[in-house]
Amino acid sequence: MSTETFGKWYREDRLPHIFCTGCGNGTVMNCTIKAVDAMGWEIDDTIFVSGIGCSSRAPGYISTDSLHTTHGRALAFATGVKMANPDLHVVVFTGDGDLAAIGGNHFIHACRRNIDLTVICMNNMIYGMTGGQGSPCTPVGKISTTTPYGAAEPAFDLTELAVAAGANYAARWTSYHVAELIKAIRAGLETPGFSFIEALVQCPTAYGRRNKFRQVGEQVEYMRSHAMLLQKKRRLEEQGKDVPDDMFTVGEFVRRYRPALGVRK
Amino acid sequence: MRLVIDERRCKGCNLCTTVCPYHIFQEGRHLNERGIAIPVLDRPERCTNCRLRRLYGRQLCGACQLICPDQAIYWEEDDPYAAEKVVIEY
Amino acid sequence: MTTLEFMQGNAACCEGALAAGCTFFGGYPITPSTEIAEQMALKMPKRGGVFIQMEDEIASIGAVIGASWTGARAMTATSGPGFSLMMENLGYAVMTETPCVVVNIQRGGPSTGQPTMSAQGDMLQCRFGSHGDISTIALVPSTVQEMFDLTVKAFNLADRFRVPAFLMSDETIGHMREKISIPDSVEIIPRKEPKPGMLIYEAEEDMVPGFPTFGKGYRAHITGLTHNERGYPEATNPELHEALVRRLVDKVESRRHEIADYDAVNTDAETVFITYGPSTRTVRQVLHDHPDETIGHLNLRIVWPFPEDTLKLFPNAKTFIVPELNLGQMAREIERHVTGQRVISMGRLGGTIHTPAELYDKVQEVA
Repeated sequence: MSTETFGKWYREDRLPHIFCTGCGNGTVMNCTIKAVDAMGWEIDDTIFVSGIGCSSRAPGYISTDSLHTTHGRALAFATGVKMANPDLHVVVFTGDGDLAAIGGNHFIHACRRNIDLTVICMNNMIYGMTGGQGSPCTPVGKISTTTPYGAAEPAFDLTELAVAAGANYAARWTSYHVAELIKAIRAGLETPGFSFIEALVQCPTAYGRRNKFRQVGEQVEYMRSHAMLLQKKRRLEEQGKDVPDDMFTVGEFVRRYRPALGVRK
Repeated sequence: MRLVIDERRCKGCNLCTTVCPYHIFQEGRHLNERGIAIPVLDRPERCTNCRLRRLYGRQLCGACQLICPDQAIYWEEDDPYAAEKVVIEY
Repeated sequence: MTTLEFMQGNAACCEGALAAGCTFFGGYPITPSTEIAEQMALKMPKRGGVFIQMEDEIASIGAVIGASWTGARAMTATSGPGFSLMMENLGYAVMTETPCVVVNIQRGGPSTGQPTMSAQGDMLQCRFGSHGDISTIALVPSTVQEMFDLTVKAFNLADRFRVPAFLMSDETIGHMREKISIPDSVEIIPRKEPKPGMLIYEAEEDMVPGFPTFGKGYRAHITGLTHNERGYPEATNPELHEALVRRLVDKVESRRHEIADYDAVNTDAETVFITYGPSTRTVRQVLHDHPDETIGHLNLRIVWPFPEDTLKLFPNAKTFIVPELNLGQMAREIERHVTGQRVISMGRLGGTIHTPAELYDKVQEVA
């Protein structure tokens, strides 16, 4: 994790990127690159794949071969890349709308196949690129342009979904917990089979602004103060104590070694 | 090592001001020509990575660089290297 | 050396793909193309290739495009409903110039229609189905032998022009069993590598850029957004977008006469049948029954890009009769290119093919 090798992963000629001021996607990119760099992978044998949305613009700023595909289909393209050449390390950037809405089917099937991909989902709980419409991960009651009276539908818990669908590794952190996020991504990269890392990110422009987070820092502070470690939540439940409603769980949800697809034997 | 904010990349989100254990980053007050208030560095020589990177031979702390969504924070080599006495208040 | 076999059209397609060096098949079962996936599942692993059954057709074409970027010759096979699902990603393949082969064993539509019956209702969809202006290559076999030959050709054309190539067959040919001779080896035209110093999307003289295979150090960024020659998105530049889309269309359209593959019979005739696919067989029967050389026949094996110069091969033609298993999709294209000749569309729906008597009656009626 030296400073010198960090910069080489970015296409310096393309920065600054298009993300809004304070967007957490850039932080998740940093963490991913730190983890990939720490794995000792080379730029030329790593592939970044993404779909459509804010998160999916990330591979365009990374020096490796990268595939910016159609909306929701990143996992399908990544499956093709990985199966056709298992020597390549394939990392997928995706967002909550891309992965859970239009790409939901590809997501559960990639988990089921347990194909050797690492998927990093930047969950900003909103469709950011189209201007802030409700996504399957918008929490109940939150305001977006298509849920002007508050989101009425329950949100997906993507990490639990990955666990249930059969992923070998699943973890959730936020763009505030950078050190933990790097460790989780590293663990995901190391684990053969499907690894899913959900990174909750702040979206000050499309989400925070409509939901009482007036400054970038306020939403980051919310993520810091409302994150509850999975172990703590389980302990509270064992003790029969109440888990506060407004807390979300973070941590490593599963790490297992089921047979995986697309691993070079 | 010397801590640097790349003014061409910084978008002024001030996330760095929230994570530095020494509060080296302070919210900027003056807009630059792009209309962005770049955070100012308050005694950056206190930065752990600046002081001890050579000694440990690896990246230390680095929370500001990691959380910076705009890849605007990095360290430059100070040439020639000269040891400095630094007062650290916690 | 060749091997003589008696096999089904779909199996011949699979043999053609394997002979052409296809190493990746991503598919989803759909009648009447399923046999291709079944054969691939059986044969691909023995040859070190990859067969993967995806969760739907959208994922199938996605996986095929992804595999293609690693340098593999990749293909999928489907039918009408699946083909409709693939449209978005096929546009992506055109925009990113990804070579791949899509086999469409057409069935009766719209919607679920007639799964076990024959049709040619997707002929315009393969050309105009994806949003935006695109140009593609569509090959139509009329025999089981052509199923083999054109599959090989589709791979070569896809790699040469960096476009998705469509094998637009139908249930009749797909499920027909015929004698076929399989050569020991076939001609393979490999993809062009990028020349040193050229940018990722910098086109060469033939308007086709070299293919920067993933993992070879080209560090290519591939996006479906309007991109510049470096491959970087630049979606709000009007001149760039126009130049890019014009090049994508022109690289195929400007070579349509070079690509063209057809048979022209009895070129002095006044009444000429223009056919592709199963109607070719019926017209051949008509010509066989009436060997007086008064009926012309143009059989197109490549319908897109449409080789309009082939119409001039019949200088005495007064009438073109176009029997096809749709309501005149290609007849409309032929009407655009004729110079005064009458175009009679003999559209047919329902899943059965034209009979020789019907076609001959039409000739009599016209004459």
